[in-house]
Amino acid sequence: MIEHDVLVVGGGLAGLRASLEALKTCDVGLLSKVHPVRSHSCAAQGGINAVLSETDSVDAHSFDTVKGSDYLADQDSVEILCGEAPDRIRELDRFGVLFSRTAEGAIAQRPFGGAGFPRTCYAADRTGHHLLNALHEQCIREGLKIYDEWFVLRLVRMGTSVTGLVAYHVPTGEIAGFRAGAVILATGGYGRIYRKSTNSVINTGDGAVLALDAGAELKDMEFVQFHPTTLLGNNILITEGARGEGGTLVNKDGDRFMAKYAKEAMELAPRDIVARAIQTEINNGLGIDGDHVNLVLTHLGEELIKTKLPGIRQIAMDFAGIDPIEEPIPVEPGQHYSMGGIAVGNDCRSSLDRLLSAGEASCVSVHGANRLGGNSLLETVVFGKIAGASAAADAKQGRAEAEDGVEQVVRKERARVDELVGGRGTDVVADIRMELKDIMTSRFQLFRNAEDMRIGQEMIDSLRGRLATSRVSEASRDFNYGVTRYLELQNMVAVARTVAAGAIAREESRGSHFRTDFPKRDDARFLRHTVFRLSDGRLQLSYAAVRLGKFPVRERTY
Amino acid sequence: MRFKVWRSGKEGAAARYETYEVEPRRGMNVLEVLFEIQDHKDDSLAFRYSCRGAVCGSCAMMINREIRLACRTQVHMIGKYRPMGLKPFPPLVRQVDWDPSREVLIEPLPNLPILKDLVVDMARFYEHHRAVKPYLEDKEPERPVLISPQVSEKLDKWANCILCGACYGACPVCYKNQRYVGPAALAWSLRFVDDPRSSAETLERLSLVKHPDGVPACEWYYNCVRACPKSVAPAAAIRILKNKLIELKLI
Repeated sequence: MIEHDVLVVGGGLAGLRASLEALKTCDVGLLSKVHPVRSHSCAAQGGINAVLSETDSVDAHSFDTVKGSDYLADQDSVEILCGEAPDRIRELDRFGVLFSRTAEGAIAQRPFGGAGFPRTCYAADRTGHHLLNALHEQCIREGLKIYDEWFVLRLVRMGTSVTGLVAYHVPTGEIAGFRAGAVILATGGYGRIYRKSTNSVINTGDGAVLALDAGAELKDMEFVQFHPTTLLGNNILITEGARGEGGTLVNKDGDRFMAKYAKEAMELAPRDIVARAIQTEINNGLGIDGDHVNLVLTHLGEELIKTKLPGIRQIAMDFAGIDPIEEPIPVEPGQHYSMGGIAVGNDCRSSLDRLLSAGEASCVSVHGANRLGGNSLLETVVFGKIAGASAAADAKQGRAEAEDGVEQVVRKERARVDELVGGRGTDVVADIRMELKDIMTSRFQLFRNAEDMRIGQEMIDSLRGRLATSRVSEASRDFNYGVTRYLELQNMVAVARTVAAGAIAREESRGSHFRTDFPKRDDARFLRHTVFRLSDGRLQLSYAAVRLGKFPVRERTY
Repeated sequence: MRFKVWRSGKEGAAARYETYEVEPRRGMNVLEVLFEIQDHKDDSLAFRYSCRGAVCGSCAMMINREIRLACRTQVHMIGKYRPMGLKPFPPLVRQVDWDPSREVLIEPLPNLPILKDLVVDMARFYEHHRAVKPYLEDKEPERPVLISPQVSEKLDKWANCILCGACYGACPVCYKNQRYVGPAALAWSLRFVDDPRSSAETLERLSLVKHPDGVPACEWYYNCVRACPKSVAPAAAIRILKNKLIELKLI
């Protein structure tokens, strides 16, 4: 049995920042299904928001975030996010992040969507890569114990407390128990339930399902962000920074169509608005070749593109054979971010004792119904730090229960995995995965309606049954990716059920969630969070109040 | 299209090549070909993956005897990419029954122990990375250090390394000397040596790479420069480090 004061699940930015904090007072172990530097944080491009200028203000950052969230964010949480931002940026600077600089040598900032001030710090267009490396380096320096290529199968709960977890070692197939005083889930989002997604292949919502199965609450799962500009075909992210630097969007007639949808903010309206605008153009026959619009950077000049947008230039050249210095980039909307997640308070504690969460896996909520660009990297470091401190405090209380119950769950999980392999099942697992992605992409996308979603919900339920009777034919123990991909798909189906249930129940349009049958925001019925929990294996929905504050709820125009 | 893939032997059996026929879709890359095989032809095939966008560094491998990221290698471009021109060493010239005009040859990254199929043990590579102290000491300066855009961009070149190990697998010195820290670790060393926020540590950092298996071990094959998917040019970093070591009379 392996034992640590604090266990962190997930080696991206939130998990690493949480580990650094907990390490100050505790013995910490970090589990990740990939080596930490392979985490999806590395794909973040555009930047991280913080108020660094005297002419900007934390209030302004908070207001932009609350308005961007379509007023669903909790305003006291947003104040923490924006208030802590300057300190976290200075800390990242000390950790060695190579932020892009002004001529004077200060940290440079660029304009981003939905923001009234250019407050997005960046490291060219590879901000996530630089942040992830810097935090990984600091964790190396502090001697963090990292268990890489460990896939967590189950949380162990005794009474109202989480006491440990059981995990599967991908290189050997070993299943082992881990005991802890507190567990932090920092497993990222669930974007890969969609076919068209900017997310890494590994983003399968594992943390949300671990928490749900253990009896914890999830929140606002129906809010899924679609990024306006993903590379046509394979949906690799093309940063909002490209528009921040002056890039424009045009339809097949060469028109800057954003004038019709957000005449002041234009291309720098928030993502939900720009993504819907692009899809509307395509649906109205104004798309190019019927399936995309163009992101034009050619007028920005070679120098600017090479220094500020080198990463997306390389992506366009490598994956589409296009040099954006000379040609426009063909783009379409694609799933990008999961606003929903494990319900936590401002201290990152979940509804179960000694279970915490931070980053995209969690829902505080600071993003509400739509996240602003540059706020997700910020969330990982602000709330990662808080989660680490809270978990350390919980762990220092001593063990919750005399019996931790881990061994028993280890035996159960061994039996579950043994049963999975070496047989002939009813379906090809990969076919079920593809069907799920197609259902989500066709029925729970940018524009949603009751009828499509109800059919989709039934289809997801039937996939769940088919998956249960499917098997992994390969029986070897070492690096059996058939097993991990099956287990991930189980999680994806479970997450998809929550997204579907939340989206059907929310009969209004707010932020990223747009209902063609309920096209207006309905504050009287739905200015509240959706809360999900399992009760006797059945998914139950309830609602929780939004914590409002100094910014009154208004109509949202840009 | 035929893909000839290196497979580990099961339960003591000898390693072998297995050939799969995959019909390439428009815009398909080699990583997607491997997924297609794993999903529909043989779920025992093992390979690492994550971002599929050439930023996470999981999928470096040998494709047609060149070191590439599988996700970045477009199937329709195979045979049309400008040849890397790697200097030959044993893994690149090992005898294999392979018809380059009809088959794509996919093999694990050289110079590291093979764990299974296309999965190699990166432990040694990560240890070498750690050995150069690849981190800033957080000394909390009273005032943030100002860094000019020129300095920042210069460091950026080295810090764009995604630790994929392509340079390590392409290096003839790494093949014959497992103690050699290798190109990626040395590029990271220079990235911190030259960081104005760590100027006080420069001598200490340089002393970590002056030993015979550090900077002096490089034999200037430049395979690292040719194979790097991120244009880091580790050999250029090693040259700069060497000049600093000579200047400071450390070697």
